[in-house]
Order: sequence, then C-alpha cells, then structure tokens
Amino acid sequence: MASEPTVAELRELVAEFRPNAGHVLPSLNKVQETYGYISRRAIEVVARQLNTTPALIFGAVSYYSDFRTTPPPETEIAWCSGPACRLKGGDRIREAIQHTLQLPLNGHSDDHEYGFHLGQCNGTCTEAPQVWVNGKVVGNLTVAKAIELARDVKADS
Amino acid sequence: MNRTLENLILDAKNAWDAERSSGRELIGVCIDTSSIARGAEDTLAKIREVIAAKNLNIDVRVVGSWGFNWLEPTVWVRSAAGTHAVLYGNVTADRVEDFVQRTVVDGGVVPELALGVIEGNSLDGVGLIEDHPWMQGQVRRLMANTGVIDPGNIQHYLANSGYEGFGKALDMVDEDIIKLVLDSGLGGRGGGGFPAGRKWDFLRNATADPRYLICNADEGDPGAWVNRILMEGDPHLIVEGMLIAALASNAAAGYIYIRYEYPLAVERMQNAVRDAYELGLLGQDILGTGRAFDLYIIKGAGSYVCGEETGLINSIDGYRGMPRIRPPFPAQAGLWNKPSNVNNVETYANAPMILRNGAEWWANVSDTKEKGTKMFTLSGQINQTCCIEIPWGPTVRDVLEHYGGGMEEGSVLKGYQPGGPLSGMLPASEADLTLTLDPYRERGMFLGSGGIVYFDQKTSVVDLCTFFLGFCEDESCGRCTTCHGGTQRAVEVLRRIGVGGGRESDIEKLEGLVKTLVWSNCLHGQFAMTTVKLALRYFRDEFDMVIREKRDPSQSLAGLISYRVTRPDDPSIQAAAAICPVNAFVEKDGKLQIDDDPCIRCGACKELAPNAIEIVDRFPARATAEVTAAGG
Ligand SMILES: Cc1cc2nc3c(=O)[nH]c(=O)nc-3n(C[C@H](O)[C@H](O)[C@H](O)COP(=O)(O)O)c2cc1C
Ligand code: FES
Repeated sequence: MASEPTVAELRELVAEFRPNAGHVLPSLNKVQETYGYISRRAIEVVARQLNTTPALIFGAVSYYSDFRTTPPPETEIAWCSGPACRLKGGDRIREAIQHTLQLPLNGHSDDHEYGFHLGQCNGTCTEAPQVWVNGKVVGNLTVAKAIELARDVKADS
Repeated sequence: MNRTLENLILDAKNAWDAERSSGRELIGVCIDTSSIARGAEDTLAKIREVIAAKNLNIDVRVVGSWGFNWLEPTVWVRSAAGTHAVLYGNVTADRVEDFVQRTVVDGGVVPELALGVIEGNSLDGVGLIEDHPWMQGQVRRLMANTGVIDPGNIQHYLANSGYEGFGKALDMVDEDIIKLVLDSGLGGRGGGGFPAGRKWDFLRNATADPRYLICNADEGDPGAWVNRILMEGDPHLIVEGMLIAALASNAAAGYIYIRYEYPLAVERMQNAVRDAYELGLLGQDILGTGRAFDLYIIKGAGSYVCGEETGLINSIDGYRGMPRIRPPFPAQAGLWNKPSNVNNVETYANAPMILRNGAEWWANVSDTKEKGTKMFTLSGQINQTCCIEIPWGPTVRDVLEHYGGGMEEGSVLKGYQPGGPLSGMLPASEADLTLTLDPYRERGMFLGSGGIVYFDQKTSVVDLCTFFLGFCEDESCGRCTTCHGGTQRAVEVLRRIGVGGGRESDIEKLEGLVKTLVWSNCLHGQFAMTTVKLALRYFRDEFDMVIREKRDPSQSLAGLISYRVTRPDDPSIQAAAAICPVNAFVEKDGKLQIDDDPCIRCGACKELAPNAIEIVDRFPARATAEVTAAGG
C-alpha cells in the first residue's frame, strides 16, 4: 500500500485549481488518479485551495460512488451490474464471488489485498457476463469461472 | 468561408491525399472500449511486432468503431496503391501473423474474416461493406468517420468535411443558424426529444451573461453506449457541434461532462479540445474572427442523477450532484446561476451535418415525425451486440432480427427494455412498435437515448423489476422522501416477493408507490416506478404466479428454486461439489446431496454437472400443499 501523500505534495498537485471555476470534480479526480484515493488530508487541502470548507468537499466526495476515501485494494474485482450481464447470470456471479471472497459489495479484505466493487455497464456487453480485474475485462464468465477467479485472487494474496 | 479555416482544411485534405498515395499499405485497427474488451490492444501490439519482424514498410492507424461490436477486434487494410481497403472482423492476436502475411506480404484478402470493402470496388469474393447484411438499412452520417479516421488526429477530421459546418455558421447570423436547426427538426437525443433549435433560442434570448453550453456525456443508462462510440471514434464532431451551438446562442464557454466509466472517451475528448485550441478553433479569438468560446472537459465520479441536467449543473458547480428544483430553468439560471443549455452528445453531433448539407437533406432521411438518423445499441440475449445508425422508424423486432441477429440459441424473446432504468419493460407482443418517441410516451415510458435490451423466457420479470428499482434506489440523490424512501420500500417488497414471501396486498402496495413517487421533484423519482407500473400491466400473470403460487415460470428467481442432485453417481458431481462456494454438498447415505439451507443458488454446480443436477420449485405446488394440509 502506498503511503499517504503529504500536505506539500497534495498542495502542489492541486495548485492549478481555482475557486468557483468548476474545479471540485477535476481536483478530486486528479487526487484520486494520482494516489488511488482521497484522504482526509487531501479533502482539507482541496478545500483550502478552492476557498471552501472541508465539509463541502467531503459532501461531494461522499456523494459520488467512485470516489474512495481509503486506498484501493491491491487486486480489485469490479462486478458489472448492468442489464446484459444480469440477463446472463450476473447476479448469481455476484452472489458466488461475495461468498468466495467473504466480502460485501464495495468491501475489501482487512489487509487491502483484495476487494469487490460495484461496477456500471460501459457498453462492453459483448462480453457479458463480466467483471473487471484491476480495470481489465474478464468476460464471458460462467459462475464456475467466476468462483475460480475469486479463489485465485484470494489465494494470491 | 473564413480564410484561415479554408487553408486549414485545404492543408488537411492535401495531407490526407498524400497519405493515400504514399505507396504504402495502411492498417486501421479499431481501438475503443468495446474492442479493447475483446483484445484489440493485443491485436495492435501483435501487428506492430509482425511489421517490425518482417521489416515491412507500412503504416498503422488507430481508429474508432464501425459498430460491429460482436466481431471485434476489427481491422482494415488499405492496399499499397491506395485503391481499395477491406474491413475484417475477429482479427484476434493469434491470427495476426497469418493475417499480415496474406493481406500485406501476399497482397491478397482473407475472405473468411472479411466483412466488406470500405474503399474502392468489390474484390474477388468480398463485396462492398454497404452490401453486408448488417449494414443494410443503416445510414452512416454521425458515424461516417468512426472507424475510418484517427480520432486523435484533427487533420483527419478536417480532411473529411470537419469544421466545414462551423465555417458556414461563422458566415451566418445567430438567428439564421437557429432557424436552420429548427427547420431541420433536430430533437434532443437524450430521451426527451425537445427541439434543439428552441433550446438554443432560449439561450440566445437570455438576458444575462456569460452563457454556458453543456454537453451531457453522462450516458448513465446501462445498455446504452452510443455517446461513447461517437466520443471515442470522432471526438471533433462534438467539439464542432458545440461551436455551432455557441455561435447560435452567443455562449461564452462550454463544458462536456463525461461519466467516470468512460476514461478513454475523456482522454480522446481532452485531446480533441487541446488540438482545436492549438489550431485556433477554440479560444478567445477564434480563427481571427474575434469570436470566443472556451471548452472544458469534466469527468464525473459515478452518479446516475448527474445525467439529469440540473444535477449535472450542480455537479460542475462543485456541489453534490442533486437535481435542482425548477423553475428556474437552466436557460434562466443554470451553471453559476447563469443562462445555460444542456444537450446530449448525439444532439450536438448532428449540428455540423445540418450546417454543411442543409436542413432538408438532413431531415429527409426519415419519414417519421423524428428527423435525421438515430444511433442505437442492442444488447441482451441476442446474437449480435452492436451499435447501429438508422433512419427513425423500423420496429423493435426488425432491429432485433436484422441487426441483433435474432435471439441466442435456446432463447425466445420475452420482452425488451428501451430507455434505461427510468423506462419500462414491454413484452414480445409489443415488439412491433416502431422505434420512434410516441409509442413509448403513450405507454407512460420513453424510448430513451438509444439502448435497447432484449430478454428471453429464462428471465424473471420480478427479478428485472428488483434490479431496476435497486438501481433507482442506489442512485436516488436523497432529496425527496417519495424517491429515496419509495424506491427503498419498493425494493423491500419486490425482494420479499422474489423469495416466496409475496402477499396478495403487495400489488396494491406497489401500485400505491407508483402513485406516490410521481410527486418527486425530478424525473428520477417521478419515473423510478415505471418499470413496476408497466410490469404490473404487461406481466401481471407472472407477478400473480410468483405471489400466489410461489412459482417462477423462468426458474431463475433464487428464492423460488432449489438445486437437487439427480444422479449422485455421475462422475461430474465431484467437480460440482468442489466448485460450491458455500460447501453445500453433504454426504447422505454415502452419496453427495445438496443441502438447501446454505445453498445460495448460484448454479455453479449445475454448470459443471448439467446432467446430474436439476432445478426444482422450492415450494410444493399449491394444489399439493392444500391437499396435504387438508389431509393432515
Ligand atoms: C435521472 C436522469 C438521468 C439522465 N441521464 C441522462 C444522460 O445520461 N444523458 C443525457 O443526455 N440525458 C440524460 N437525462 C436527460 C437530461 O436531463 C436532459 O434532458 C438532456 O440531457 C437534454 O439533452 P437533449 O435535449 O439533447 O436530449 C437524464 C435525465 C434524468 C432524469
Ligand atoms: S451489462 Fe455488463 S457490460 Fe453491459
């Protein structure tokens, strides 16, 4: 797991952003793209940079489902919750992976080695049912293949 | 036309022609989110590797999608003489070596992978792409460049009529641009169909400044990816469309709000904007005309209601992306409380063509009330998951048979779902509706932005209702109790029905919720119950059966079925027991059986032992149950 960025690093990262210029999402996205998550410290730095309060920034962070406030797991299985995947057994795949990993949706192991995330359809439905492993599509799954994948992820960590 | 622009276009055309007559083969590889999912990046890498290994002097171009999603990776090869080019499908990395040998080194074609000739005359055994069955009836206007030009190369866009529409608009007064767009009949492609020209006119007539244009690229409806195809395949089309809208409405700046799930579209749109700035097409003094327009890309962070225009505005403003209470409407007080206009990606993308070719030409392609072409994405249990562009008007069934390739083997059409989670499902008996706006409006739903999901008899409507309502609950912004509380309640009731706990009174409860949610502030809450409302109308028998008999005709509702070992001696049972994630296989009398209690009904065991495990109804048939009760 990467160590938490310092205030100085964060300040430099968001130095280009200005108050009242539509920069809340861009600055938060930049923090997350750089460090994988948005720490409490980052929220404070962004708030100061944008001349607003940490509460307001935290309000935005907590509103969106893809912002994280804790570091992402080493290996993440994101599950496609979309309709084509659902029609092809996607929900049974979710159930099976959750039981294999012993995690709820959007949960991660205590050591941050692996996690299970809710994903949205991005139109790669030719591969349904599918999951993304660290962003890469693993498609045309069967439930059995999904269980094996989850077991491998768990065993590797 | 503006001289600077004229020169830019001339230079680009010359460069384009020079490339064609370079005497070198050119290989075009579709690299977009859909093709990458099917290994296109490996194909591209392998092509480069083979070229290097064979020391070939040929060029490679990254292009967008032709819409043949189910045949990705698609690749085309243009002959060294530049006289013809052939498009191929399923060019997986393992085929590349042979493919390059046969097309480039031997100068031939690979008929078994060929889809059609995209430039030049038909060749031995390979017809024109227009004659490919899947292309029949399609009209490629919005998608004219996707799959052909490099989306990262503004010169390619300029060489293919790019920015010509904008050039025309520069010579027109704002009112005339509006009139042209009104005459065309261009309606919003985000689902509402509201005339774009009228919206632009509202902004033009606004009294405050600055004014903003917003491009809604949130494309949140799962099963719709038409906007992505355009952004990834021809990003300047959207930049140009917004520029035209800016001239029509005197907007000072624009924002393109792209969903988090589309990182490649974000990257390509960002590059397009950067390149447009570099050539002076954006900025404070566009092409020396003194006109100004700034354009920014904003990436979302995962929120469906940010696709609702006022939620989107709040999101850019830096607040939680909660839809606002209207009025005031965005045209009066939108972004930073300044006059703003929101349109869908595909809406803006039509503007360049209307300017270039005129309203009549643009409109005449469709003989319905809706004008121009429309893009659709088809998915579900169908043979050909794809993206098409067609004139308005074919029926849902036509489109399924013709473009979707029909239902998969073993699947019979049970129904379809256009328009995303806020729309509803219709049964197969309604599949002869045309793909136009009115039939859906009349049924209290909407056609939506282009996604159509087809489902089969193995699908439970109760499950789909639970799914769509669950989505609406998850994505509720939390403002209205009717919406966040109502969707939550609906999900509870639906889940209970789905596990066999349905009560007669549940239908009434759901109907009550249908009536309650319409009092929500925004369309999200107002339409969240559409799925249930229509399911109760069109699939009532199924609901009744699940509630009263606790039986599911699709045998897919986890709560109403059990898995049972029928042939414990079958050798496949060992593997089935081993795959079980909850160790539900237990030994009874020396034989493996499934314990119903821990079983989560994931079905993995049946996948591995299809002939030794069966699905049975969990609850005994009603009649039997009553007889037993009476007898005992
Ligand atoms: C919950 C919700 C989500 C929406 N999502 C989108 C979307 O992803 N893309 C879109 O263009 N319109 C979406 N809309 C419709 C927009 O509010 C708006 O009507 C549309 O962007 C206007 O553009 P148009 O006139 O070009 O269609 C959504 C509406 C609601 C209520
Ligand atoms: S539904 Fe899973 S990728 Fe579209």
